Amino acid sequence: MWHNLLLHLGGGAFVAALLRVSTPILFAALGALISDRAGVINIGIEGIMLSGAFAGVVGSAFTGSARLGFAAAVLTGCLLGALLSAAIHWLKADLVLSGIALNLACASGTVLLLFALTGDKGMSGSLPSKVLPTVNLPLLDRVPVLGTAIGHQHVLTWASLLAVPLISVLLMRTPFGLRLRAVGENAEAAAIAGVRVARVQFAALVLSGALGGIAGAFLSMGYVSWFVGGMSAGRGFIAIAAEVMGGGMALGTFVSALVLGAAETFATDLQGIGLPSELMQTVPYVVPVVALVLHASRRRRSA
Amino acid sequence: MIRNALLATGLTLVLLLVVLGLVLVPIALALPEPGDAIRTFLLAPLADRRHLGNIVETATPLMFTGLAVSLMFRTGMFNLGAEGSFFLGAVFSAFAILELPLPDWAMAPAAIVIGAAVGSLACLIPGVLRARFGASELVSSLMLNYAALFFGLYVVNYVLRDPNAGAMLSYKFPPAAQLPRLIPGTRVHLGLLLALAACALGAVYLFATRAGYEARVVGANPGFARHLGLRVTVIAASVQALGGLIAAAGGAIELQGMYLRFAWQSLPGQGWNGLVVAILGGNNPLLIPPAALALSYLQVGGDLLSRNFNVPAEVVGLIQALVILFATATAITRNPLLRRLLTRREAADVA
Repeated sequence: MWHNLLLHLGGGAFVAALLRVSTPILFAALGALISDRAGVINIGIEGIMLSGAFAGVVGSAFTGSARLGFAAAVLTGCLLGALLSAAIHWLKADLVLSGIALNLACASGTVLLLFALTGDKGMSGSLPSKVLPTVNLPLLDRVPVLGTAIGHQHVLTWASLLAVPLISVLLMRTPFGLRLRAVGENAEAAAIAGVRVARVQFAALVLSGALGGIAGAFLSMGYVSWFVGGMSAGRGFIAIAAEVMGGGMALGTFVSALVLGAAETFATDLQGIGLPSELMQTVPYVVPVVALVLHASRRRRSA
Repeated sequence: MIRNALLATGLTLVLLLVVLGLVLVPIALALPEPGDAIRTFLLAPLADRRHLGNIVETATPLMFTGLAVSLMFRTGMFNLGAEGSFFLGAVFSAFAILELPLPDWAMAPAAIVIGAAVGSLACLIPGVLRARFGASELVSSLMLNYAALFFGLYVVNYVLRDPNAGAMLSYKFPPAAQLPRLIPGTRVHLGLLLALAACALGAVYLFATRAGYEARVVGANPGFARHLGLRVTVIAASVQALGGLIAAAGGAIELQGMYLRFAWQSLPGQGWNGLVVAILGGNNPLLIPPAALALSYLQVGGDLLSRNFNVPAEVVGLIQALVILFATATAITRNPLLRRLLTRREAADVA
């Protein structure tokens, strides 16, 4: 049993599952990264992800187009990011509590809206929603291990891998990224230097929301093909843990998202060989805590 | 100081009304009989003894988690483990009732104590990890809530589950495990008195003991506390343990006061409700009971609305989110214009 499992861990199927499971975590973690570097960490990313999943299903069902559904998810994410920015900049509410409020509002709001639109309570079973396509790589999908691993991945999985260098460049190599990091490092100093702090943080939260929306679209238009209340299941929080572990860098965030995704994939595999599923379901939540502690104590020692 | 407290309470009430209007009016307008819907939400909970009883029953667990969150926030830690503590407290009270050889007279109190002790871990661990290693208590408590949920479900499914019950339910509790009911015609149970006592003790602890004073100093200004020679990390972590004990005892008491079996399949959301109560009550233990009653009034109203008008009960979640937002929005609560307006009105009331 264990022998087979170990073989499986090195195999293409495991890598394929790992990439699939890590995709929403990675998108949301990159969203958390942008907001955190601007000094306004987006705790609401969990709710934004849920709303993105909802908007993707509803949008694609009502327009009949997966692309428009995806656009609806991204737009919803942007809008909620802007809303969070309004809460902290305009109402001057607490950052963390506003994020929590956003999560609560999204958890209830999606169920209410789903009911208003379809009469379903909690699950979008009756909606003919669309899914985003899988990319089949010609030739490569015939190579033994590599083909199983990356031959048939979801288009958003590829997009998430592409997003890592893009966001790294955006943050580290563009004037906007420089301003954003300056604001996050020391808002007062940035303000004195002429940076419009609120405007930069607004942009960061909108971008962060867009990434959260994409993470949600993957959940409901790729991972599965429906919406169910609470389907983000704490992935937004796992993503925040990944971002913290990643040390504020896109590449580090990518690696930690993969580590946390591996924990979830591994736990699913262990359920498959007959270990109690409830205990295995704790793994994706315990591993981030352990990783956070390791990361924090290492940083403390080096400081 | 009293004037300030009055002002804060007045502002909170006005905010509650505004939030209620913001959520309720659009939903009511979407229904065929808007007037009836609003009347059901606002008046039906107060109409008879049974529904008044519902308000008090619903408020009881809110007082525990509200008090727990208040104490933990007072030390400056954003610990959201109350949710997991509440759940685990209930699971392990059920475990003690069904699996441990407890004599009848000791069963109810022992189950509460055991539930509280085990459940407190969901708040204690994030507190210790923060104090000892500097790991964000916010993130780790959010994670551990889910871990607590699945661990609890494991215990229920593999140890407590009644194979004849069909669904995932525990065995039935013996009568000795149940808390006595206080008011005939309602389900108000002994837990209410325990909750009120806990809030009173919480106030004494926070405002009249040395330990509570130290906890407040740590929360208000950790640097100053360190300068005074206070053991900041030990104090902060021990208050997280205290909060965990209170929240978990709340879970055990809710289970033993209201249910005959353990039946929860997901987190009951009382930790989040407790957060709303703590914010409404300004993290003041004495204001937790009225804040809990206010929130439970809304929950019962939402429940009645959802049952009579076929609207999902999630309406209340939206109200809660807006309450958190507006009650912490300093642009509103510290707005000099609004404050002046309110004080003048209160002065007029007094005169």
